[in-house]
Amino acid sequence: MRADAVRGHLDGLLLAVLEPGPLHGYAIIAAVQHRSGGALELRTGTIYPTLQRMERLGLLRSSWDAVGERRRRRYELTDAGRRALADERTAWQEFTAAIGSVLNPAT
Amino acid sequence: MSEQDPAEEYAAALADTLRGPARAKARMVEEVRDGFADTVTAHTHAGLPYEHAVRRAVHEFGTADEVAPACQRELTIAQTRRTARAAALTVPFLAGCWLLIRTSGLDHGWPLRLLAVHVAGVAVTAGLLAAATLVTTGPVARRLPPPSRLPLTVAWTGTTAAVAMALAALALVTASALAGEWPLMVLSGGFAAASHAVVAAASRACRECARLPA
Repeated sequence: MRADAVRGHLDGLLLAVLEPGPLHGYAIIAAVQHRSGGALELRTGTIYPTLQRMERLGLLRSSWDAVGERRRRRYELTDAGRRALADERTAWQEFTAAIGSVLNPAT
Repeated sequence: MSEQDPAEEYAAALADTLRGPARAKARMVEEVRDGFADTVTAHTHAGLPYEHAVRRAVHEFGTADEVAPACQRELTIAQTRRTARAAALTVPFLAGCWLLIRTSGLDHGWPLRLLAVHVAGVAVTAGLLAAATLVTTGPVARRLPPPSRLPLTVAWTGTTAAVAMALAALALVTASALAGEWPLMVLSGGFAAASHAVVAAASRACRECARLPA
């Protein structure tokens, strides 16, 4: 699935992979690719500004974390982020139900 | 001659194209650099030769030129918020100027009365602009994205406030000097120099950011 098709759903994808617990940038990218079975084509360099935007919007919070010899920025969901994820799921289910009912009408 | 680390090279290319508050830019570049290095490491651990792993990482990340607009968009918002905060800091300065004019004991002829009105107007405008900008680029933006021209608007409003502030302080200093009020003159000059420098520098940086593709 091309990056253009994924872009509109990126916030929801990032919120979903952070739901189980905090992760740093590369682990977030790896989690999205793992969950999608590698089907989603992400321009992964743009994930980092997206994470910072979501932090500015209050959906995520972050802190520096030591990983081996280097430090990494670790992101986690805020309460607002959990609510936004629930909204994303509801919107996605409504969207897929509507599209599905057009593409595959009941016979 | 030693070859440069590809992650450092990528980060340097990105840093060259980005503008914005130093700390925010450094954090952005550091996170991208570390992510790039992690990607290369993951590919080499998976068995790819190093050169191939680097090429694969660039393909997945996008080139620095491809990634820069998304990074710049966020840095431009950061600079806009910084400029708004700088403008908000001028409100106490302008209120101080207004108080000095009101209580200086100088001849309150029409030029000083006009100056007081002008200063109060700039203070109110700077305060409102700062509050509106900080609100519309914060959590509220989840439901109501900020207008695309906000950074440029804030940049030019900040520039106008900086110029107006300098003119107001200059007028106050001149009036104080003519009346022999040296302490007032020194106070006004100090306020003016500090506030003008902060707001003008932030506004200039904001204009630069707003001109870049994002």
